[in-house]
Amino acid sequence: MTRLSTGGLIDRETQLRFSFNGRSYTGHPGDTLASALLANGVQLVGRSFKYHRPRGVFAAGSEEPNAMVELRSGARQEPNTRATVAELFDGLVARSQNHVGSLERDLLAINDLFAPFLAAGFYYKTFMWPKAFWEKLYEPAIRRAAGLGTLSMRPDPDSYDKGFLHCDLLVIGAGAAGLAAALTAGRAGAQVVLAEEDFQLGGRLLSERDSLDGAEASLWVTKMREELQSLANVRLMPRTTVFGAYDHGIYGAVERVADHLPTPGDRVRQSLWRIRAKRAILAAGAIERHIPFAENDRPGIMLAGAMRAYANRWAVTPLKNATDRVAVFTNGDDGHRTALDLMAHGVPVLGVIDTRADAPRFGDYRLFAGATITGTKGRHGLTAIQITQGSKAAWYSVGALGVAGGWNPNVHLASHHRGRPVWDEGVLAFLPGPNGPHGLIPVGAAAGKGGVANALADGMQGAITALGQIGLAAKPIPLPQAENTPATQEAFWHVPGRRRAWVDFQNDVTVKDIALAHKENMRSVEHLKRWTTLGMATDQGKTSNISALAVMAELTGKTIPQTGTTMFRPPYTGVSLAVLGGGDTGPHFRPKRLTPTHYWASARGASFIEVGPWMRAQFFPQPGETHWRHSVDREVLAVRAGVGICDVTTLGKIDVQGADAGEFLNRVYANMMGTLKVGMVRYGLMLREDGHAYDDGTCARLAEDHFIVTTTTANAAGVYRQLEFFRQCVWPDLDVQLISTTDAWAQIAVAGPKSRMLLQRVVDDADISNAAFPFMACRALTICGGLRARLFRISFSGELAYELAVPARYGHALMERLMEQGADLGVTPYGTEALGVLRIEKGHAAGAELNGQTTAQMLGLGRMVSAKKDSVGAIMSRREGLAGDKRRLVGLKPVTAQTPVAAGSHLFTRRAVQDMANDQGWVTSACYSPHLESYIALGFLEDGENRLGEVITAANPLEGQEVAVEVVSAHFVDPDGGRLRD
Amino acid sequence: MTDLIPLTALGCTAARHEKIGAFHLTERPNLALASLSLRKGQAVPSPFGLVLPGPGQAVWSGDHGAFWTGRDQWMIEANGQTDLAALLKAAVPNASITEQTDGFAAFELTTEQGADAIDEVMRKLVNLDPHAFEAGSATRTTLDHISVFLIRRAPDKLSVIGMRTYAAALWHALAQVARRTDADIDARLSP
Repeated sequence: MTRLSTGGLIDRETQLRFSFNGRSYTGHPGDTLASALLANGVQLVGRSFKYHRPRGVFAAGSEEPNAMVELRSGARQEPNTRATVAELFDGLVARSQNHVGSLERDLLAINDLFAPFLAAGFYYKTFMWPKAFWEKLYEPAIRRAAGLGTLSMRPDPDSYDKGFLHCDLLVIGAGAAGLAAALTAGRAGAQVVLAEEDFQLGGRLLSERDSLDGAEASLWVTKMREELQSLANVRLMPRTTVFGAYDHGIYGAVERVADHLPTPGDRVRQSLWRIRAKRAILAAGAIERHIPFAENDRPGIMLAGAMRAYANRWAVTPLKNATDRVAVFTNGDDGHRTALDLMAHGVPVLGVIDTRADAPRFGDYRLFAGATITGTKGRHGLTAIQITQGSKAAWYSVGALGVAGGWNPNVHLASHHRGRPVWDEGVLAFLPGPNGPHGLIPVGAAAGKGGVANALADGMQGAITALGQIGLAAKPIPLPQAENTPATQEAFWHVPGRRRAWVDFQNDVTVKDIALAHKENMRSVEHLKRWTTLGMATDQGKTSNISALAVMAELTGKTIPQTGTTMFRPPYTGVSLAVLGGGDTGPHFRPKRLTPTHYWASARGASFIEVGPWMRAQFFPQPGETHWRHSVDREVLAVRAGVGICDVTTLGKIDVQGADAGEFLNRVYANMMGTLKVGMVRYGLMLREDGHAYDDGTCARLAEDHFIVTTTTANAAGVYRQLEFFRQCVWPDLDVQLISTTDAWAQIAVAGPKSRMLLQRVVDDADISNAAFPFMACRALTICGGLRARLFRISFSGELAYELAVPARYGHALMERLMEQGADLGVTPYGTEALGVLRIEKGHAAGAELNGQTTAQMLGLGRMVSAKKDSVGAIMSRREGLAGDKRRLVGLKPVTAQTPVAAGSHLFTRRAVQDMANDQGWVTSACYSPHLESYIALGFLEDGENRLGEVITAANPLEGQEVAVEVVSAHFVDPDGGRLRD
Repeated sequence: MTDLIPLTALGCTAARHEKIGAFHLTERPNLALASLSLRKGQAVPSPFGLVLPGPGQAVWSGDHGAFWTGRDQWMIEANGQTDLAALLKAAVPNASITEQTDGFAAFELTTEQGADAIDEVMRKLVNLDPHAFEAGSATRTTLDHISVFLIRRAPDKLSVIGMRTYAAALWHALAQVARRTDADIDARLSP
C-alpha cells in the first residue's frame, strides 16, 4: 500500500471495493480508479498500442495516454476508458486491455523485439506481398495486435438524452480562474453555466498545496461551491465536458450523469447538452508536457504535476513500495514543487534532476543541475534511472520518477473554428490565437497566465469583460490572498540519445520515428502526424503534440511557430455515439403518426406498414388466410364487387381561403382551378419550378372563397410549405390564407358499386343520388344524427367511390358504424396494399410515378398544363428536352399471366442488347391483379402510346429476371370511366 | 346529437392523466381550437372579448384564449365547444376561420415543484430559453422531431399542443422527460 497516512480529499471512513483484472482491492469515495490502483501499489496498468510495452498511470486527468481500461462487465462493458477520470464506486470492475495472456506476461510483448521493423509508416511499406493476403491475413492480424479494448457486442442497456441550455456566460473549467469568473458573473445576476469535467470543482487548486487566504485552497473551493449553489442564476455542472465550439455561440457538452454509479437507475447514463452562450470563458487550465528520454515509458514514470496531484488530492504515491525513492526530472522550477510536496508528505526523495546548469534550489533535497536522464531500468515498473551530468553517468535506484517539461495552455476549444494558436517565447508554449470562436475568452492558465493569483484575477476580469460585451455590468469581487509560484524554465525538449525515447505513449511514437519521418521527406506537420500516427490515438496527443513539434523543429532547423500545429477539431475528449444519438431506441426510435382509425384497425388484427412517419393498415388478415396475397386479393375483389372502406386520412389537406384563393390556386396548379364550381372537385397537378411533375390530388371548392387542396401523403408537408412560401414571399399581394387540416379530419374512402347504398344509411338527410350528387361533387353535410361531415365523390379505385370526412375523434366510431351498416352489403375494410392494387388496375399515378423525374406529358397529363394562364413550372415544362421526352405511362401485362414483373425493371425491345443505349424506360409499379387474374404493371416506355400490343422485355438484371410483357393501356379496369359516373 | 362516441387522441373515451413523481401530465380533449386569419386589410378584431396577442404571446379571458401563430393569424381556444369555428365566424364574420379542435392533441404538464421544475423539463424538451419563456408566452417549436405549439399558461404549467396523429408519440416524449427530470430533481435533493 502506498496510501499516505494523512491528507487527501478522500473519505477514509468509507471503503469501496473494486476489482482490477480479477483481483479485489479497496479505495475511498473521492478516488479515481487510477488513484485507487496506485494506492494499492499497482503500477502496471496496461500495454502499449504497438510494441505492447508495459505501461503505468502517466497523468491525473483526461489527458492520460496510458491507463486505458475496460470498465464494467456484461452489456455495460466499456473499452478505452481512462482510469484517471473514472470515478471509483463500490463494485467497480475494471480490466486492462490490449494483451494476449495476462497483463504481466503478454505474449504480444514479442512485438517489442521487432521494433526495428515496426517504425513509422511500417504498414505503408511492409505486408505488400502477396496482395491478396492484406485483407484476409495481414490487416486482421495487425488489428488484433494493435487493438484497444473489446466491445461486449451486446446492446447498451442504458438510456441517453439531450438537452438545451441558454446562458449569458458559459464558464468552461472550475479551477481558480473558472470559479472566479463564475462567481463574478453570478453575483452580477447573469445567467451562468459552469461546466467542469472533473467530479470535484477546484481544478489544480485541489492538486497543489497553495494556500488561499492563508488556509487550504480546498476550503475556499468549498466556500465558492456553496455560494454558487445558492445562486439561482448559476448552474453548476460537474462531470461535464465541453467538447466542442460550434457556430453561433453553441457549445457541445456531455454530462456524465450516472457514470459514477453502478447502474443509472431511473436516470440517463449521459446527457448531451447544446449550450447556447452569449459569451464563454475558457478556463480549461493547462496540460503538463514531458521530456522524452531513453526508455522513458516504464510504469512509475509520470508527469511531475500528476505526481503532486496524487500526493496532495488523493494521498497516494506512484511507488510500488512506500520505502522506494522518488526522483524528479525537470527543465524548470515547476518540477521542484513536486519534490517539495512529496517531502512534505514524508515521501523519500532522491533529488531533482534539472537540465539547467544554473538550476535554483528551493528546498533541502539533492539537486543534479545541468543533468539529464539517459536511461532507465525495470521490467514491469521503474527500478533505476541513469543520471548524466556533464560526462559522468551514474545509476540510481528509484521507484518512481516525475517528469516536468513545462505546461501547455489548454488551447483546444479556442482553436476550433480554425483558430490557430500563437507561440509565446516567454512561456514557451502556444497561446490561444485571435481567430478562435467568436465570444470565447480564454483566461488563466489556458491563456498562459498560470499561477493562482494570476488565474483568479484573470478569471474575474474575463467575466467582467465578457458581460460588458453583452451589456451587463459586473463588479470586481474580493479575491482571496494568493501567490504566484516561480515558473521559470528553459527550452529543453528532449534528451538526445540512441535508444528509444517515447514522445506519444499511446501510439508508441518515438523521437526516432519523427526523425525517420523527416528523413522520408514528411515536411508538413500534418504529414508527420499521419505518417507516424503521432497524436492520433484516443488521447489525441494531449501530452505529446508540442514535444513532437519541438523535436521536428529541431530536425528541420525551423522554429516551433514556423513548424506550426496540426488542426484542432471537436471533440476535446471521446464522446460516445450513444449520447450523440441521445434519444430513444427501439419502438420509439422516431415518433410515429397514428391514423384516427389506428386503434380500430389494430383491434381487427391489421398488419401495419410504415409510410414515412405514418403507421398505415397494410391489410386485414382473416382466419384461414396464410399469405398476405390471400388477404389483399380478397380485399380488392370485395371493393370491385361490393364496397370497401379504407382510412385515407394520411393524404394532406390544406384549407385555402381568401378573396384571391381561386387565383392563387390557378398559379400553383398547372391546370385551371379558379373556374371550379362551388360544390365540385377537380383533379389537379402541381409542377415543380423546373417543370417536372411535383404532386397531384384533388381540389374541392366549398365556397367562392374557400377551397380544400388534397396532396399525396408523401408531399403533404412539402406542398403546404411550398404554398406558404408562394403566399408569403412570391405573391404577398394576394388575399389568401392557408392552414393544414390533415389531422383534423378522419377521412374514409368508401369504394365499390355498393358504396352509395352504404353511405345512404349513415347520411342524415342529404340527397346523394347520382343526379343530386354526381361524380366529382362535394358538400358539407351531417351523418349519424347530426355529426358534421364532408362528402367527396372521388375515386382512386376506379369504382363508384366517395371519401367521407368527419372530425378525427369520430373516425374510430365511424368505421364501426360503417361495418355495422354495411354488413349485409359485404363491407370490407382494406389496407394500403389493396389500395395500391386498385389504383394500378385503374392506371392512377402515385409516388412511384411522381418520383421527381417525370413530366406531365410522360404521365399522359400533358394537356393539363394550361396554356391560358401562367403557373409554377409551366414555362419550364415547355423547354426543349423536357417537352421532347417521348416516354409515356403505359400498362404492361406479362405474356404469361402468372409471371411476376418486378418494379424497377428496365424496358427493352425484344432481343435488344440490354444496356443504357437501348434502355426504353422502366417499370414503376407492379402487382398481382386478382380482377384480371394476372400480374400487371405500370411503366414509362419510349413512344409508349403508339406501341400498344407490342411485346417487349422487362429486365431485372440484378436478379437475372427477364419477362416478356405486352404493352397495353394503363387503364386495366373500366377504361371509359363508366363505373365512376353511375 | 350524434350517437357516435368520440375517442381522445390517445384512443380512449376518457382523458388520460399520469402522475409522474412531482409532475402531472394531463390530456385536455375538451380544449376547442379554431384558427383565425385576417383577410387583407381587415382590422384586428376582439373575438370573445380577447385582445389578440402579438408574436410569442398568449392571452386568456374567461373561457376563451388566443395565441399568436403568424402574421395576422391566431389560434383561438375555448373550453368544451364542439364547433368553435362556427362561433368564431359569428364573432368575426369576414375572416378566414378553420375548425382545428380535431387537428391537435393538447397536453398539460404541471408540477408541485414550482417554476424551476418546468424550466428543467423545458431544457430537455425544446431549444428555448425557459427564462425568456415566462407565463403568457407561446411559440411554435420542435419537440422530439414533432412540431408543437408550446404555451406557458403559468410558471408551473406548460401546455403542449401537437398534431393529433402524433399524440401517442408526444405523450411518450413528455412522460419520459418528466420521469427523467423527476429522477434528476430527486438525485439533486438527496445528499
